[in-house]
Amino acid sequence: MPPDINTAADTGEPSSKFAIQKKRTRLFGLTLDETIRVFFGGNALVAVIVLALITFFLFREGSQFFGQNRDSLRTYRLAGLEYVDIIRQQEEDHTALTRYLFDIRLKAVVQLTEQGIDAAEINRRLAAFDAFSERYSDTIVPIRGLVFELTEVATDIKTRYNENEDYKVARKNFLAAGMKAEADEITIKDLDFAKEIVAITGTVSAYEQINNEYADALKASVTVLPTLPVASLQPRLERFRELTREYLATFPGRLATLKAWDNNAPVKWTEAFTQFIFGTRWLTASFWQDWYGIIPLFVGSLMISCIALFIAVPLGVGAAIYVNQIASPMEQRLIKPAIEFISAIPSVVLGFFGIAVLGQALRALSQWEALSWVPGFPYSERLNALTAGCLLALIAVPTIFTLAEDAINNVPRAFKEASFALGASRMQTIVRIIVPASLSGIVSAVLLGLGRVMGETMVVLLCAGNRIAIPDFTAGFTAFLQPVHTMTGIIAQEMGEVVRGGIHYRALFVVGLVLFFIALLLNFLAQKIVRKYRISIG
Amino acid sequence: MDTPSATPASRTFNVPATATSAEGAQTLIEIDNFDFYYGAKQALFDINIRIADKRVTAFIGPSGCGKSTLLRCLNRMNDLIDGTSVKRGSVKIRSIDINGRDVDSIELRKRVGMVFQKSNPFPKSIYENIIYGLRIQGVKSKSRLDEVVEKSLRGAALWDEVKDRLHESGLGLSGGQQQRLCIARTIAVEPEVILMDEPCSALDPIATAKVEELIHELKKQYTIIIVTHSMQQAARCSDQTAFFYMGKLIEFGETRDIFMNPKNPQTEAYVSGRFG
Repeated sequence: MPPDINTAADTGEPSSKFAIQKKRTRLFGLTLDETIRVFFGGNALVAVIVLALITFFLFREGSQFFGQNRDSLRTYRLAGLEYVDIIRQQEEDHTALTRYLFDIRLKAVVQLTEQGIDAAEINRRLAAFDAFSERYSDTIVPIRGLVFELTEVATDIKTRYNENEDYKVARKNFLAAGMKAEADEITIKDLDFAKEIVAITGTVSAYEQINNEYADALKASVTVLPTLPVASLQPRLERFRELTREYLATFPGRLATLKAWDNNAPVKWTEAFTQFIFGTRWLTASFWQDWYGIIPLFVGSLMISCIALFIAVPLGVGAAIYVNQIASPMEQRLIKPAIEFISAIPSVVLGFFGIAVLGQALRALSQWEALSWVPGFPYSERLNALTAGCLLALIAVPTIFTLAEDAINNVPRAFKEASFALGASRMQTIVRIIVPASLSGIVSAVLLGLGRVMGETMVVLLCAGNRIAIPDFTAGFTAFLQPVHTMTGIIAQEMGEVVRGGIHYRALFVVGLVLFFIALLLNFLAQKIVRKYRISIG
Repeated sequence: MDTPSATPASRTFNVPATATSAEGAQTLIEIDNFDFYYGAKQALFDINIRIADKRVTAFIGPSGCGKSTLLRCLNRMNDLIDGTSVKRGSVKIRSIDINGRDVDSIELRKRVGMVFQKSNPFPKSIYENIIYGLRIQGVKSKSRLDEVVEKSLRGAALWDEVKDRLHESGLGLSGGQQQRLCIARTIAVEPEVILMDEPCSALDPIATAKVEELIHELKKQYTIIIVTHSMQQAARCSDQTAFFYMGKLIEFGETRDIFMNPKNPQTEAYVSGRFG
């Protein structure tokens, strides 16, 4: 080599020059490197912009909900619906009490049947009780009549108000379109709520009278309690009398509320929020009043997620530990793709599987004699929170498994070796070293699994039973065997049917916003925990 | 016995086992015709070596020569690596074949402790690090644990430096302190043999000196086998030295002989720094 260089230098060949300059092809004035940089940077930018747009539109569509909800609540008050509902609540409380009586009767019948007494005899023995309960339930009749009449009146006021509002919109539209003649044809009769409401509030003295009679009848009916043929149920009847007295004690307060009620009282901004966030009713397309309370949906989502995580966390984390620490390479090659494949199954297929197989199988299992000790078994609803939860567990397992396995894999090998070198067994090493060292990674895997479950739509829509009500938690775990509805499910189910820009439409957007924030929070937490974990390992 | 290289007998040995026994040292570990494989690749070829009790034996040799592999065979750490196998020969400690059918590798590792190249304290407190070995053996007594912690830390010359922060994380210590913590953790379970796999390669000279001092102290109670890349270290702190090359034991003898008067030309080339 050296001689060559010498020769080159001697002959003055260009190769001896300090050749560091090079001509480059340029595209729009950019070199190739710069073009690549612009391309990738542009892609990243587009992703960020899309995310920003999604957030912006969610907020824009959702934010108007609260104004509309406030208007809706204002109409509810102005048209006197709220007033009627106060009295209706009294009627419903009464119904709840008669249900208590019915419950006692049911228990009595069960116990008597167990003693081998036939139906006719049971009815004979319960005759006194039945007469009592009939008397009791009949006391409400006058109140019920009043509620019925007032419902008619209030509905009428509301309907006329809404029609008038529609006319206003139509007229405005005509005017905007320059169709003056058509616009003039529409006659607008503004409602004077102060005048209209008299038809409702004017009945207060009549109510007071009916209510007094009702209270007297109620008091009289519980002065003497019938003797039950089953002595053990007698305390329940005593309890019933107590409840009735408590119920009666609410009457004066209710009357005062009615008297003080004013249809012109302003609806606060906060009410539009609290009615949504803490509202226990999601009631739409109702002839009476629509309610948009997220609680039943949120509770449904939460219950299903709890079931899903309850199943998926042990499965996912257990499988991750097994695959990473115990399995032979052969098993690893089999198990890992198998679990990861689950996430490739379309969720609608899983949902279909839930309806056709799992729901049926779980119900059949619940009817199995040997399992009758499980609370809530046997049950009859095939589609419920449990069915949906079990399927969602299947969806969460791959997420939890993959991320937990990563976390376990990140535990330095040195820890494992040190533990073994000190005479620890495999299990001791896993329990005392591997799991604690990867715990934050595992926790964040669980959080991301929860996010996955919370956002899942198709399975819950198909398998959760879609009953919009907060399950009855008084009976403990049986609540998990009841049908529920979810935040994601409601959006998928109702978005297709709503009027664009209407209050219902906006309410669904706000539900979407809530989901968005939940996902954001879970991801944020997961990242934060992982970051902490990196520092702790050093 | 503390400084065997200074004894006259060390100049005259031929077979290492004989030489040590001539000094009255018991043979603790006997390795006979030992072949070891990673999958299909043979890593150790026909190793024969006698390691004396309560002495320091150094394994030296260029990278990839099999010295670490042999070390890890002594407490069967290679079991953790898939595909490893002993094809021939035996490793006997106190005349028991450690690869025998009835041998429990967990029990073995309690008797043969190991200190690794990179200090690897658990992400736990200093105290928990020390008592880990006892905890997994089910020792619960607080007074016993406290006693072992102090004894082990004193044994590893770390007690005075950490006695006020026993419940702080072991990861907060300096590199040298971490390595001594790992040594303390190892002696807490009272093994007979301590294997050290390049224990000072990640340490600065001062920390290295401390660990070497510690090795001198420890050999009163423990048999120590140390793998090292540093010839000076082997010369400074070992009594016997084995030189490996390409998976074969080239020469084994008293450290003084290996360094001053090697029999094999390869050994001479390596210790004089001409290759490796």
